[in-house]
Amino acid sequence: MSDLHPLRGTSVPSQPQSPASRHLGSARLTRRHPTPTSASVFDRYGPSVLFAIALLAGALVRLWQLNRFGVNSDEAVYLGQAAALAHEPILSRLFPLFRAHPLLFPFFVALALPFTGREALDLAGRLLAVGFGLATIAATMAIGRLLFGRWVGATAALFLALMPYHVTVSRQALLDGPMAFWVTLTLLALVRFAATQRTSWLVASAVALGLGVLTKETAVIFFGAIVTTFALHPELSGRPRPLLVALGAFIATVAVHPLATFLAGGSGTERTSQYLVWQLFRRPNHEWWFYAWKIPPALGLAVVALAVLGLILVWKVWSWRETLLVAWIVVPFTFFQVWPTKGFPYLVATTPAIALLAARTLGRLFALGSARSGSVLPTRSNWRRGLALVTVIAVAGSLAVPSIAQLRAATNGTFLAGSGGVPGGREAGEWVRTYTPEGTKLLTIGPSMANIIQFYGHRKAYGLSVSPNPLHRNPTYEPVVNPDLWLRNGEIQYVVWDAYSAARSPFFAEKLLTYARRYHGRVVHTELVQTVDTQGRPTDLPVIVIYEVHP
Amino acid sequence: MKLVRPLLTLFLFASFWFPLQPVHAARPEPNTPIRHFIVLMQENHTFDNYFGTYPGADGIPPDTCMPVDPTDPASECVEPFHIGNLPIEDLDHSVVTFRRQLNGGRMNGFIWALRLRNHDGRIAMGYYDGRDLPYYWNLASEYVLFDRFFSSAHGGSVWNHMYWIAAVPGTEKNSIPAEGFSNDIVTIFDRLNEAGLTWKFYVQNYDPSITYRTRTEVVGPRAAQVVWCPLLAIPRYLDDPELFRHIVPLDEYFTDLQNGTLPNVAYIVPSGASEHPPGSIQAGQRFVRSLIQALMRSPYWWNSAFLVTYDDWGGWYDHVPPPQVDDYGYGFRVPAFLVSPYAKRGFIDSTTYDFTSILKFIEENWDLEPLAERDARATSIRNAFDFTQPPRQPAFIPWDWPPPPPTPEPRRSAVFGLYGFTVALALLVFLIPARRMHFLPRSLSSRRSRPSTPTHRGEGKR
Repeated sequence: MSDLHPLRGTSVPSQPQSPASRHLGSARLTRRHPTPTSASVFDRYGPSVLFAIALLAGALVRLWQLNRFGVNSDEAVYLGQAAALAHEPILSRLFPLFRAHPLLFPFFVALALPFTGREALDLAGRLLAVGFGLATIAATMAIGRLLFGRWVGATAALFLALMPYHVTVSRQALLDGPMAFWVTLTLLALVRFAATQRTSWLVASAVALGLGVLTKETAVIFFGAIVTTFALHPELSGRPRPLLVALGAFIATVAVHPLATFLAGGSGTERTSQYLVWQLFRRPNHEWWFYAWKIPPALGLAVVALAVLGLILVWKVWSWRETLLVAWIVVPFTFFQVWPTKGFPYLVATTPAIALLAARTLGRLFALGSARSGSVLPTRSNWRRGLALVTVIAVAGSLAVPSIAQLRAATNGTFLAGSGGVPGGREAGEWVRTYTPEGTKLLTIGPSMANIIQFYGHRKAYGLSVSPNPLHRNPTYEPVVNPDLWLRNGEIQYVVWDAYSAARSPFFAEKLLTYARRYHGRVVHTELVQTVDTQGRPTDLPVIVIYEVHP
Repeated sequence: MKLVRPLLTLFLFASFWFPLQPVHAARPEPNTPIRHFIVLMQENHTFDNYFGTYPGADGIPPDTCMPVDPTDPASECVEPFHIGNLPIEDLDHSVVTFRRQLNGGRMNGFIWALRLRNHDGRIAMGYYDGRDLPYYWNLASEYVLFDRFFSSAHGGSVWNHMYWIAAVPGTEKNSIPAEGFSNDIVTIFDRLNEAGLTWKFYVQNYDPSITYRTRTEVVGPRAAQVVWCPLLAIPRYLDDPELFRHIVPLDEYFTDLQNGTLPNVAYIVPSGASEHPPGSIQAGQRFVRSLIQALMRSPYWWNSAFLVTYDDWGGWYDHVPPPQVDDYGYGFRVPAFLVSPYAKRGFIDSTTYDFTSILKFIEENWDLEPLAERDARATSIRNAFDFTQPPRQPAFIPWDWPPPPPTPEPRRSAVFGLYGFTVALALLVFLIPARRMHFLPRSLSSRRSRPSTPTHRGEGKR
C-alpha cells in the first residue's frame, strides 16, 4: 500500500498512465520519498494520528460493555452453527450446522471455540465481529488514501469508527459485519486494480468478494456494483481475459459452500435451497420506507449530508471513483428496497463508501486531498487547517454522541432485530438451564426468543408464531402444529412471554398468555430491565416472563 | 459502656454454643435421603401385558401358547400378540377368574376363565410394547423396573387397595362392607400421624361427599373413589376432621410441590386416567408424566421417590405363578417402576415384592412399627435405590420409543477442510499482488509479484 500516494507523489510524465490511474490525481507507482518541511508536519503526522485515534476510538466504542447484554436471535443462530461445526455436544443438538447462510463466520468462531469454551462463546463471537469491524476501518483508510489521499482516508476511518450504524452492527456476532469487511477488501483490491491494471489485484478483488459471499450470500449484490462501474467506465475493465480469470476465481471461491454442503452430507443440507425459496416468496417484514427511515440517522445525518454535498460539488469532475463509491451504495440499497426482507444490518457494507464520500467532501472543502488529475495542493493557511480539524471533530462528535448514547440506552421493551443484544435474554436462558430438568421443552411467542433460550438455556424451544404452512415459515424453524395438544399432553412444560416479541406479534403474545392461563400457568421467573416511565421516573419493566404449565 | 464487653462475650458464647446443641426435631429423620415418598396406584394390567417384551425383563416366554380350553388336550392355543389399536374390554378379574386362570399353578386358564364369563378371552393374551407405552418404557430404561412385583391379593381393587394402605384385606369379600371397614384397622397413615410425619391422600377429581355412606346413591363411576381411596370407607377417617382433611383433591399435589408443602408420604389415586380397561393407556401415561414432571420441576426432586404400580391384574395374562403367602395372596404380577434421583439407572429389580413392600419401605425409612404380619414379612424396595450415588439430575423422559435414530451427522471435516483451504488460498492471493511473499523462494515471489509496468504486455496498447 505504500507505493501509492495521490498527494505527495509528483507526476512522472515519462511513464505512461493507465486510464484509471489518470483519475487518481497524482497517484503513481512511485515510492514515497517524503521531504519534511515545517509546513508538511501537519500532513505528515496528522493523518497517521487521526487514523490511530480512529482505531482507538473505534475499538473503544466497540468493546465497551461488549457482552453486557446477551446475544440476540441471529447471533444465537450463528454462534450455534459455530458450535455445531465444532461439534460442541449440547448446542450441536439444538442448532443444525446447515441453515440459511454460508459458514465462513461460524468457521472462524468454531476455530476459537476450543479455546473459549461454550460459556464464553457469545463473547468470542462478538470479539471476532469487533475484529472484523476494526479491520474494515483500516481497509477504509487504505481505500481513502488511495483514492483521495491520507487525510481523507484517515477522516473516513474516523467517521466509520464512530458511525452508530457500523458500531452497532460490528458489536454483534452477525454475518453483516464480517461481510462488510470482505466487501470493503473487495473495494480496496478493485481500486488497486484500477490504479495498477494488474490482473492479480482483480483476482484478489474477486476472491475477497467470494469470501464475502461465503460469509453472507447477499454480498453477491456487490458484484452488481462492480459490473455497473465497469459498464459506466469501460476504461477500468481493460481486456476480457483478466475479467474472465477474476470471474473464475470468484465462482471457484463461492463454490466452496455448495461443495462443502455436498461433501458434508448429513441432515439439514436441503434447508439452504428451501431457505432461498422462502426468502423469495415471504411476506415483507417491514414497511417499504424502513431503510429511508432507519438508516440515515444510524449513518449520521451530518455524514449523509456531507456525502451528498460532495457528490454535487464534484459533479463536473465526476470520475470512476465517484461512480464506484456511489454504485457501492446505490446497488445494494436498491436491491434491498425491492427485496421483501429488510433487516437493519443488511446495508452495513455500504458504510465505508458513505464515510469515504463524506470525508472526501471535507477533503475537498479544506483542500485535504486532491480531487482531480494532476492537481497540486494549495498552500493552506493555519486557519484553514484549524477549521478542517474543527469540522472533522464536529462531525465525529455528531457520530460519537448517538453511538455512545445507544450503548447506554435503556430498553423500552421493544427490540429491532439486529440492533444489539437482548436485555434479559441471557439471564432468562441461564435460569432455564439451571432450574429446568433436562429434556424440558418451552414455547415462546416467536422463534427469536426461542433461539435465545436454546442458546443460553440448552433446552428445546418452539416459537408459537412459526407457521405450520411451509410456505410461510423459515424452513429452519419447527412449527408447533397443535400447541394446545402439546400442552395438554405435557410435551411442553414452560411458556415464555417476552416484551420484544409481544410488541411485534400482539396476536401470538395474547394466544401464548391464553395457553398460560388455560394450563395452570404459574410465573416462575421474571426478567426486569430498568427503564423510565412516561414521566421520566425510573421503573422496572418486565421483559421476559417464564410460566410453568401443566395439564 | 461497661456492660458492652460482658454482653459481647455472652453473645459470642451464645453464638457458638447454641448451634452445637442438638435440635430436637418434631419429626423423625429418615434413614435414607428419601424425605418424600409418593406412590401412585393405577389399575388393571399385568407385567406381561405391559412389559412382557421389555428387553432384559422376565417377560413372556418365547414358546408361549395359551390353550383356549386347558381341559381339552386337543384345544387350539393362542400365542401372545401385540394389541396395538385393537379394541379392549374390561376383563373379568374376580377371585373365581383368578383361580381358573391360575389353574392350580399351571397358568394355562387365562382364556378359558374369561370364556366362562362370556368374554372372548383371546384378548387376555395381548400385550403392549414400547410403541404403545413409550413413556413407561423410557422410564424403565432410565430408572427401575420391578419384574417380580405381585399384587397383594388375588382379587380385585378392594383387597389390593387395603393391602396398599394397611397390609390387610380389610374384608373377607372383595367389596366394601356396607358399614365400612373396621375402625380397628391400623393404616400406615396412623403410624405416620403417631410419628409426627406428614401425609396426604390425593384423589383425582375428588368429591368429598362421596364416601362409603353415600356411594350407593351416586350414579356413575365416581362412586369408585371409595374403592381407590379406602380411607373413605373407614368411619373414623370420615368422622375425625383431623384425619379427613388429609384426603384432598389432586390439584393440591401440584400446589404442594410449588408451595413447599409436600408431605412426607403421598398416596395418589387417579380418576379417569387410571388405565383401567377400556380406558386409554395413553391418557394414563400422560397423567403419570404430568405428576412426575411436576416433581422433577420442584425442589423436592432431590429427596423424593415416586413409585407407580397397578392395583390388580385386570384379567390379563401373566406367565409367573404368584407365590401363595396366605389365603389372600399374592395375586399375579403387576407393572411397577420407581423414579427417584437415587434410583438405580436402567435397573430391573427381580426381588419379590408386593404392595406391602411399599409399606415396609416407609416403615424402615422412618422407623415405624409394622401394621400387620404381611408387611412385617415383606421385603422393602430398598434394593431399587443406590444411596451411595450422588442424586441424579432431573431429566424429562421422552415420549419416543424406540428412540428416533440419530440424525446423520454432517462430515464436519469437509466444511473445515474446504473453508480452511479457501481462506489460506485467499491469503496467498492477496499476498501475491501486495508483494508480501518473502517466505516464498525469491524467484517465485518476484515472478509472481512483478508489478505492471509500461513494458508489460498489453499495457502499451492502451
